Amino acid sequence: MSNVAVHSMAVPAAREQEAPRSSFARVPSAFKLQFTVPSQMIWVPLSVFLLSWAVAIGIGLWLRHVSGDGPTINTGASQATIWCLAFIAAYSASHTFPFSMALSYSRRVFVLGAFLAFATVSAGFGALFSIAILLERATGGFWAESYTFDIPAVTQNAGVLGAGILAGAVCLWAMMFGFFWSILYRRVSLAMLWIIALGLVALLAVTIMVVAQNQWWPHVGDWLAVQSSYSFAGWVLLLTLVLTAVNYLVIRRAVPTA
Amino acid sequence: MDAAIELIRVSRRYRSATALQDISLRLEKDAIHGLLGRNGAGKTTLMSIATAQDWPTAGEVKILGMRPHENEQVLPKICFVREEQRYVDDALAKHAFNAAAQAFPRWDAELAAQLAREFRVPEKTRIKKMSRGQRSAVGVIIGIASRAEVTFFDEPYMGLDAVARQLFYDRLLEDYAAHPRTIVISSHLIDEIAHLIENVVVIDQGSILLQEPVEQLCDRAVTLVGRADAVAEIAGTREVLQHEAMGRIVRTTVLGALDEAERRALQERDVEVVPVSLQQLIVRLTAREDTLKQTTMDPSQEVAR
Repeated sequence: MSNVAVHSMAVPAAREQEAPRSSFARVPSAFKLQFTVPSQMIWVPLSVFLLSWAVAIGIGLWLRHVSGDGPTINTGASQATIWCLAFIAAYSASHTFPFSMALSYSRRVFVLGAFLAFATVSAGFGALFSIAILLERATGGFWAESYTFDIPAVTQNAGVLGAGILAGAVCLWAMMFGFFWSILYRRVSLAMLWIIALGLVALLAVTIMVVAQNQWWPHVGDWLAVQSSYSFAGWVLLLTLVLTAVNYLVIRRAVPTA
Repeated sequence: MDAAIELIRVSRRYRSATALQDISLRLEKDAIHGLLGRNGAGKTTLMSIATAQDWPTAGEVKILGMRPHENEQVLPKICFVREEQRYVDDALAKHAFNAAAQAFPRWDAELAAQLAREFRVPEKTRIKKMSRGQRSAVGVIIGIASRAEVTFFDEPYMGLDAVARQLFYDRLLEDYAAHPRTIVISSHLIDEIAHLIENVVVIDQGSILLQEPVEQLCDRAVTLVGRADAVAEIAGTREVLQHEAMGRIVRTTVLGALDEAERRALQERDVEVVPVSLQQLIVRLTAREDTLKQTTMDPSQEVAR
């Protein structure tokens, strides 16, 4: 079919006057984009949550079996899901971001959608964290005094609810942190990525040295002592909001093919 | 006519290379435009900038009269699926189509399903595990079914067999006829898309070499086949784009249409006129431009070499 023939068939569509749409109208769609493949954001982290817990319970039961009565066992297996979600957030920056560009989302809408999706998943993790604490308390650490979630450092100041909120806040921070490194890699060269990483480590080291040199550790200790899981969660969320803004500044000039 | 795409003095420079150099371009609404050029000419960069996936170092871009960068008023009206598009990890084709349905206000799910059947896109294979052609088909389906007011296809045929390519051309034309919109196709298979496009933009080494309606462009050159002296007489002082000699017979492609007197002279001198295909013309014009650039190169640069 020739173009002339087809073009003569083409009747110009009446262009209806479109009302200006909100710049954030597609945020819900950008949110759903993160759940396009349900395994990525839901089933894989949930599996990691349950499997790492099961492994920790198994190890706890085995330790109790071989060593008999002894001190309470606190495992670090609750971190597994957080690390998993941090990697998934990095995947979102490396794979979902280029696809979001093909779908013509603005970078601002993409970051907002990603933030809301990560916040939802983190809230889910926090809720599961609290439920797991209750379960561990009800069973006495699965009859082995082995605790993965009911860790005193997390629960002693604010109880089950505060621990869940802190876990959710830390999870959200970790996701935005994973997202940050992945999007930074897309934006800058590998050499620059390492320079920035080493620069941040150096900054942290200098901060520690300044604190040590001025003998401020007791003050830091006092400050930590008055914090609860709630206030910690607040600080972590504040840091996460700053990180989200930084992520937007980085992604603003990131190119999907790089 | 209104412009769908406007680039005003756009340049894109990278640290060690200039991808686009002071380009000005105006593409009309509701037409199919062909963006042609050699590898590395700047086609993908131009499309990336027009769709706000990249940004210009200098100059201004307007899509449907608006700047597209971070502009949600115009971005939902644009679709640009890249040649090597990345998808959400582990996504099936249906996942990609569902996501596109959320993003594009004019998405036609029935059309997408029909095209998926026609292109034989596997339902249960992850996109990353698909063949190159199947992945290209997913991109092509998103491009057509999005019905975006401004749609870009960057070499959409990669990996597609001849049957699938023809299917793409046919379905694109059918849907375009029913739902007119602005489409830009970049391609190396110029003669394959020649019947699709109304307007040609040729880009070379980051500059626009020409921008013309196809019909006008094809009238610009003719190939004369006949005895050397007769062909030379009819060609006159026209610029020769291509010359081949086969014994006493020559085949010469020249720039410039023939007038009535010259057409009469063709029969008298037994010279045959062969139409120049779009691909031949683009190739000759691009080669000519390269030659011109080389001959007009600054002598001091030549010495420095």
